[in-house]
Amino acid sequence: MNRILALTASLILLALGSIQQAGAQSNLFDGKTITYIVATKPGGGYDTMGRLVARFLEKHLPGSRVIVKNVPGAAHLIGAKMINSADADGLTIGTFNTGLISWQLTATETDGLDLARMSWIGKAASEKRVLVVSAKSGLNSLDDLRKPDHKVKMAASGKGAASYQETRMLTRAFGLNLEIIPGYEGTEAELAMLRGEIEAYVGSESSLKPFIANGNGKIILEIGGQADSPNPQASAHARDDTAKAIIDFIATQAQLSRLTAGPPGIPADQLKALREAYMAALADPELVAEAEKLELPIAPASGDAVAERVRAAFDQPPATLALLKELLQEE
Amino acid sequence: MLDSSLSSLFGILFSPHMMMLMTLGVLVGLFFGIMPGLGGKLGIIFLIPFVFGMDPIPGAVFLLAMHSVVHTSGAIPSILFGIPGTGPDAATIVDGYPMTRKGEAGRALGATLCASGIGGVIGAVFLSLLLPSVEPIVLAFSPAEFFLLAVLGITFIAALSGDSLVKGLIVGLFGLIIATVGLDPVSGQDRYTFGQLFLWDGIDPVTAVIAIFAIPEMVALALRGNLTAGRSETSYSMSDVVRGCIDVFRHWFLTLRTSLIGAFIGLIPGLGGDVASWLCYGHAVQSSKTPERFGKGAVEGVIAPETANNSKEGGALLPTLYFGIPGSSGMAILLGAFVMLGIQPGPGFAAGKSDVVWALIWTLAIANILAVLLLLAMAPWLSRIAGLRTGLLIPFVIALSLLGSYLGAGAWQNFMLFLGLGALGWLFKKYDWPRPPFVIGIVLGPIAENSFHKAMALWGPAFLLRPLSLVLLAIIAATLVLYIIRARREAVAT
Repeated sequence: MNRILALTASLILLALGSIQQAGAQSNLFDGKTITYIVATKPGGGYDTMGRLVARFLEKHLPGSRVIVKNVPGAAHLIGAKMINSADADGLTIGTFNTGLISWQLTATETDGLDLARMSWIGKAASEKRVLVVSAKSGLNSLDDLRKPDHKVKMAASGKGAASYQETRMLTRAFGLNLEIIPGYEGTEAELAMLRGEIEAYVGSESSLKPFIANGNGKIILEIGGQADSPNPQASAHARDDTAKAIIDFIATQAQLSRLTAGPPGIPADQLKALREAYMAALADPELVAEAEKLELPIAPASGDAVAERVRAAFDQPPATLALLKELLQEE
Repeated sequence: MLDSSLSSLFGILFSPHMMMLMTLGVLVGLFFGIMPGLGGKLGIIFLIPFVFGMDPIPGAVFLLAMHSVVHTSGAIPSILFGIPGTGPDAATIVDGYPMTRKGEAGRALGATLCASGIGGVIGAVFLSLLLPSVEPIVLAFSPAEFFLLAVLGITFIAALSGDSLVKGLIVGLFGLIIATVGLDPVSGQDRYTFGQLFLWDGIDPVTAVIAIFAIPEMVALALRGNLTAGRSETSYSMSDVVRGCIDVFRHWFLTLRTSLIGAFIGLIPGLGGDVASWLCYGHAVQSSKTPERFGKGAVEGVIAPETANNSKEGGALLPTLYFGIPGSSGMAILLGAFVMLGIQPGPGFAAGKSDVVWALIWTLAIANILAVLLLLAMAPWLSRIAGLRTGLLIPFVIALSLLGSYLGAGAWQNFMLFLGLGALGWLFKKYDWPRPPFVIGIVLGPIAENSFHKAMALWGPAFLLRPLSLVLLAIIAATLVLYIIRARREAVAT
């Protein structure tokens, strides 16, 4: 009963507009409203994580108010551009897909968006990428994917999507014999593997976990995992420099997951305050408990570390860059 | 099985705690349904912080009660103002709004409420009967079948086109062309986007439906003048509402058929609520002896989509619970919330944890009935809103449409698109071209295109020879033949 009363009361409070209590200690963001842009529609991992981070940023920036705004569209590009072109006062920050690193490598027109120049506040997770073969396919190992007499049918969403690009990259790195069938969005790839028309798929480990737990498939390759991971690591299979560079690039995007960034040129004081609040929020036991319940893996890193890795992804030997561009480019 | 079913029912009905949660969930759901642009998905996102820490069954009951009734109230603005509260309620506009203009708002509301309630209950029955044996049915539908289902829907255009098959097809194909705006699903190439990023995701169907249906009606009202006249013809009495309820039972066979079709479409992951309501609308027209009444205020045109969009919820829960793979974005969010509550769907879950499963089934049924009773109690009050003067009604509807369109797509540039499509809708109306085929084209276009690509890549043209493909092809052929026979007969009669 009490819970229902509490629920009703909270609903009313929410309807009236949440009441903010000014923090006791003085703060750069005291009395300020920060807009946190999520570059997807409501629902889904980015939105859930974004809302969680926003709520706890507010807690760790006393006196501030953090509101979440969904700016979906064009594979996170619209939201990222909106963050990029906002005033650099630290009052507009947000989250978008790390895959935009690939996009920027190949884009002919970036419209002023340069990820290497953005003010990085932090990242919340490492989304390991995995190559999963379905139970129905009878495939068991990487070698089964190399047989010249059988093209393995792989699901992917459209060209330019992470699943598509990574499948192409793995094909090159390990000399696989794959055929990509594009057009599978979200969980459609899992259903297609159950039906049997698709044999394997590259996706994020956390989203494929239930599929594997239900005995519908198994992981034959993992990218971006730690050495103690139970799954076979792609880096251990990478023999030559080409393969190493490719795996490294995928791992960079995988490890910088659920990131938070602001426009280029946020003043050092504000940026420092935001980064500190971000790390404090991600270490908050309440956030950790909620993330665990939501099955959102947490592996935070601060903005300076993120900025370094993003710059490193663009700052590569010309030969490697050319190879990556070729693989990322649509045919 | 009967034991656990009944004990679960009594566990809900005789627990004040559960019934209060259920009522609260239903009220929130009705609110999210009636506000254009909100809908059930946002409802769950809004409620997730509140269920955090609840026990699994009460939390799931609360969320599902909310999610399963949004389309019951979502039809109310469709009928009264020509603006859908949620996407799948858009099909209800086609006949619901003309009924209001004819002075039959009460009857349309009565029909929509009873149809929604019955559809929801049939969906719950469908869920309970099919849960043990759903696997082969869900897995039978591959991209080949998806493509042919979309073609079947587009074939209904022939029946929907009113006086001229050619006009209907032209408008329908135009809808298909509009559906290609955005990124090509396979090559990622942008098509007809004119350098505008907001067009990358395509034309938002909710915006298109509101613009094509609501704007022309408002222009027509304004042109008729008399803006300051007293209560408009849209006010109604309770006896009208009761009459609408009786209509649903008078058309009991249609109600049953569209409930089952709706639940079945819900069961196939990836088709969604819009497809369910439009296909059922198409089916109502196509199976009617007097198809010419549709679009001008036929009560069957309200019953069919409204049964379908509530019954599809029961269907959509099947793959979500059985495979742990959600069939729609709304179900994906619901599934996420279930996981948070400690409910982990999957094959073992559907067979084992019967108390949770039964609680969900009963929640579907009870919440749907509760929603109808609550809205019936509010019906006299709704009549007061409906009775607004035309001079107040027009700005109110325009503001509500813009809000719905903005919330649906979230880009201000959409307003320009909105005006352009509104003008197009006005031309359609003025020169008596049918508007529903246009919307069906927009809704089914992406499914048809995407599935065709996949089916061709997987099997080549031989995909048409899969067993289920052949069955669907036969239905399509039969639909066309029936149409031609009827058209001939009418030609002879005149």
